[in-house]
Amino acid sequence: MTETEQLQAFEARIARGEKIEPGDWMPDAYRQQLIRMISQHAHSEIIGMLPEGVWLQRAPTLRRKLVLLAKVQDEGGHGQYLYHAAETLGVTRAEMIDALLAGRAKYSSVFNYPTLTWADIGMIGWLVDGAAIQNQTMLAHCSYGPYARAMVRICAEETFHKKQGMEQIIRYTRGTPRQKQMAQDALNRWWWPSLMMFGPHDATSPNSAQLIRWGIKTKTNDELRQDFVNKMVSDFHAVGLTIPDPDLYYDASSGNWISGEINWDEFWRVVKGDGPCNAERLQARREAQENGAWVREALAAYAAARGEG
Amino acid sequence: MNDSQWARYEVFEQERAGAPHRNAGSVHASDAEMALGNARDVFVRRPNCFSLWVVPEAAVFAKTAQEVARDDWYAAPAADAPRETYLVFSKKGQPARETFVEYVGEVQAATPAHALRVALETFPPQDVFVWWVAPERRVLKSEQADAASMFAPARAKKYRMHTFYPVEPIMRELKSAQGMLDNSEKTTDND
Repeated sequence: MTETEQLQAFEARIARGEKIEPGDWMPDAYRQQLIRMISQHAHSEIIGMLPEGVWLQRAPTLRRKLVLLAKVQDEGGHGQYLYHAAETLGVTRAEMIDALLAGRAKYSSVFNYPTLTWADIGMIGWLVDGAAIQNQTMLAHCSYGPYARAMVRICAEETFHKKQGMEQIIRYTRGTPRQKQMAQDALNRWWWPSLMMFGPHDATSPNSAQLIRWGIKTKTNDELRQDFVNKMVSDFHAVGLTIPDPDLYYDASSGNWISGEINWDEFWRVVKGDGPCNAERLQARREAQENGAWVREALAAYAAARGEG
Repeated sequence: MNDSQWARYEVFEQERAGAPHRNAGSVHASDAEMALGNARDVFVRRPNCFSLWVVPEAAVFAKTAQEVARDDWYAAPAADAPRETYLVFSKKGQPARETFVEYVGEVQAATPAHALRVALETFPPQDVFVWWVAPERRVLKSEQADAASMFAPARAKKYRMHTFYPVEPIMRELKSAQGMLDNSEKTTDND
């Protein structure tokens, strides 16, 4: 078959709803887009452990500590599922981790913001995991089999992440005035970074058209963001919190909540490495890598002594 | 290059006794025993595992249906080459689930390609999109004696399940009291 015929057969398979599996023919651009997306997604899970991890020792009760520990463990697991999915495309985990530690790889910019109070932990669950679920529910239908399967597993687990966050914030909104204020402050700080998680507007998103054509995504950034805003505005209004957007209004003709403009200067600044915690996050990962070196050496020596590895 | 790589092991999980082992993904490990431990940590944080298998990725002979039809992958083994047991896995149809190929049975064969050839003659190939075969001697299986320490702890951790947090009824109640419910939210969970 010629390259054109292969491409036609490939696109016909996607149109039929068949998953593309490792070993199947795929255009190089499809492979490269997936490596880019999946590795960024994996890094986001790993970096995402850090803002919550700092609260493990300061959780207000044992129950909250167990729940947060389980959530952070899940994120470590999700990073591993995703590195696995990317590896099936011919990139190694070591290459991906090297790119992250060297500062060459991107990850979700939301994790470059600090967690200042315990209410942030609940708000991240509701808002940040809520945004992640919005995106990942779509990606569970992705045309590349390994990515779709990782997303099915992750979505099921992240529903727990979101609901434990909702539970915490609902309690705060029914608590003392100070607790309610903490919940509002957390929403004020996390609302805009959460909207940024969906990425640039469609008009300035260079990859969208091809990603949709090849069934990697089925909705655009703006469509996903709108679905998210509609759902969240209704939920936060119900618990008596205020969305920190003076321009937000309800458009009766479309049934959508229309938000004000995102601060794109801030978005690009954080993406390019100059957010509040970018340096701290990478430093933490580099230290973890260095501090774990002796464990890896010991395991390698043990395997060598037993004639494996 | 850092040294965090190691060999990859494919992981197969069995949800309950009698269910087929299904590929969940892979882990890196310095040996098979560590691979089994890593597989537990990565794939069994919830109460749905009865047994785990790990196989070095290098020991898996994998072909998609497209490769089976397209590539020149088969060479007949010598007639007197010793046979051994190969486990056969396949992906049938396009199920929207979190696992990949599932165990369908075993064959006796001399080489991986021979095992796949025998598998194609033994198991119905209709609607199969991916085949994997692996020699059983390279498979490390969790033992029933270890099930209590490997899988039971996840069963007690109900707080890892989203059903532990009954937030939907609370949200419905709040919205109902404020006249905010639309029709879809009156009848279904809106997660």
